Amino acid sequence: MMRYIRLHKIFIKQDLKKLMEYKVDFLLGAVGFLLEQAAQILCLGIIFAGIPALCYTVDGVVVDSWGFNEVLFIYGFSLIPKGIDHLFFDNLWGLGYWIVDKGDFDKYLTRPINSWFYVLCEKFCVDALGEIIIGIVLIIYSTLSMPAQVADAINWWRVLPVLAVMPFAILIFTSIKTATAAISFWTKRSGHITHMCYMTNEFAKYPTKIYNTFIKTAITFVLPFALTAYYPAIYILRGESVWSLPVTVLVSLALFGISQLIWYRGISSYESAGS
Amino acid sequence: MENKEIMIKVKDLRKEFRKAVKEPGLKGSFKALFNPKYDIVKAVDGISFEVPKGEIIGFIGPNGAGKSTVIKMLTGILTPTSGECCIDGKIPTENRKEYVKEIGVVFGQRTQLWWDLALRETYMVLKEIYEIPEDAYKERMAFLNEVLELDDFITSPVRTLSLGQRMRADIAASLLHNPKVLFLDEPTIGLDVVVKDNIRKAIKKISEESGTTVILTTHDLEDIELLCKRIVMIDKGKKVFDGELSELRRRYGQMRELKFELKNPDDFEKLSYKKDFSFADDDLSIDRTGGTVNVRFNSDVVTVEKMLSYTLSKVHVKDINVKDADIEEIIRRLYLGGGETDETADSHL
Repeated sequence: MMRYIRLHKIFIKQDLKKLMEYKVDFLLGAVGFLLEQAAQILCLGIIFAGIPALCYTVDGVVVDSWGFNEVLFIYGFSLIPKGIDHLFFDNLWGLGYWIVDKGDFDKYLTRPINSWFYVLCEKFCVDALGEIIIGIVLIIYSTLSMPAQVADAINWWRVLPVLAVMPFAILIFTSIKTATAAISFWTKRSGHITHMCYMTNEFAKYPTKIYNTFIKTAITFVLPFALTAYYPAIYILRGESVWSLPVTVLVSLALFGISQLIWYRGISSYESAGS
Repeated sequence: MENKEIMIKVKDLRKEFRKAVKEPGLKGSFKALFNPKYDIVKAVDGISFEVPKGEIIGFIGPNGAGKSTVIKMLTGILTPTSGECCIDGKIPTENRKEYVKEIGVVFGQRTQLWWDLALRETYMVLKEIYEIPEDAYKERMAFLNEVLELDDFITSPVRTLSLGQRMRADIAASLLHNPKVLFLDEPTIGLDVVVKDNIRKAIKKISEESGTTVILTTHDLEDIELLCKRIVMIDKGKKVFDGELSELRRRYGQMRELKFELKNPDDFEKLSYKKDFSFADDDLSIDRTGGTVNVRFNSDVVTVEKMLSYTLSKVHVKDINVKDADIEEIIRRLYLGGGETDETADSHL
């Protein structure tokens, strides 16, 4: 384990050196990412400029509602586990898009280290720092600008258990990427499957109650991104959904197990490419 | 070789691929989408051989023969469909991580170096991956430096290296952890004569000084001649020859290729090698495109001298040359030879 941590540090260092070699590429990536996030936040702002709050109604009666600041808080929070996964484990995308297809996976199998770990930590995606920083800024901004009765409901001690569960939230992202990327061992390419599954995390940035049962179940248990965003965020804000914390641990471990199973099964079906 | 300890053991190794059969065109692709049909392709079909410690063995065969598939199974990249391979008692499918510590791999067409970084950085990372102690690393680097002359470009980014430098760098990278077995898949592909020669010398020296067992695949007969005593030849997934190079040469290497260009293409009619020399079917083949004629013949039956003087006495040529049979030619001959090859293969086990 210690050896792997040391190796990870070395890989990150190498990748940072590489970054210094391609400064323009890095800058363009960072600017592009900022623009993308700005557009999304602008979109939220426009929607909320037209409505006072996001409401969940049953038979026309408002059961629950979320103000702009709360939605912004959830949105900001969602970027943190997502950003951390993105920062450290971005290379999995490459697996489904070209690494397996071109036979480049050979390299990972001829080294005396765990192949999954090697793929995972080979790339250090600095762009993701932007994601994390924006997340933190949104959390701070939304908290500061909250109406008094919303802000009063926050108990900052609740941050501690959420932080403790954070690694498992990150594991949800990593496991879903791993499982879908590993499909490429059979199909040669699976980048689009990964993309499709990954993008459902967009749903998780909003209160799950606004969705129908199907989507709600899907983003809570199947592709459980709600456990990485809405549930922990609303727990901090209002103390709701305490159950989601242990569930996050269990679901993430189950997903991790499944993803590893697919990974190792996949490796034995890996066909390389002609040379 | 005084030390007859077996390093590599391959027994009845097989690999089958499932290949989707598609009819041509977009329509065919659609059909295959809804009603996929598969063919089983036997890429490697029951291969067995053993390699003693310290030996350099040439692994040859035409493109698509299954060489790379065998190498990829031996390096733990592909999982065999059945059969076993083991290096120094270790089996790749059982404990890949332990197994690959014992081997070094160079794929000529693909680099394992960190593309965007200075070459030295690659070696630093490999040192950590293989957990090489500092003093062993220094000693090894010094040795590899001396043999492969890395000093000139060790601080350059890998992407700026020439192909020859990159190949030397790649070989050094595969040997840093002092593996027991080195796999070289076409190490001289695309290199110029001088660089090829340097690389061959380096491989030889490394094998001698470190006692490394080397498995080499190549299409260059010279690689084989200069490096390997023994060759294993495979085709269509089966072993067709396993023995000393001299044996192969003696049995199949007497073929020569006589190539010339006629001043007047119609003169071709005047040549009747088969009739005038009474060649057997196996010993002669003639290809002709326009004025260019390509005659392959067995120089045991008719000497090169006789063939030349016969040709020159019958026709006027613009250009003429004689070549040794290349590997492809020997393989082609082996096929014509048929049955006896199996016997040779078995007798060597």
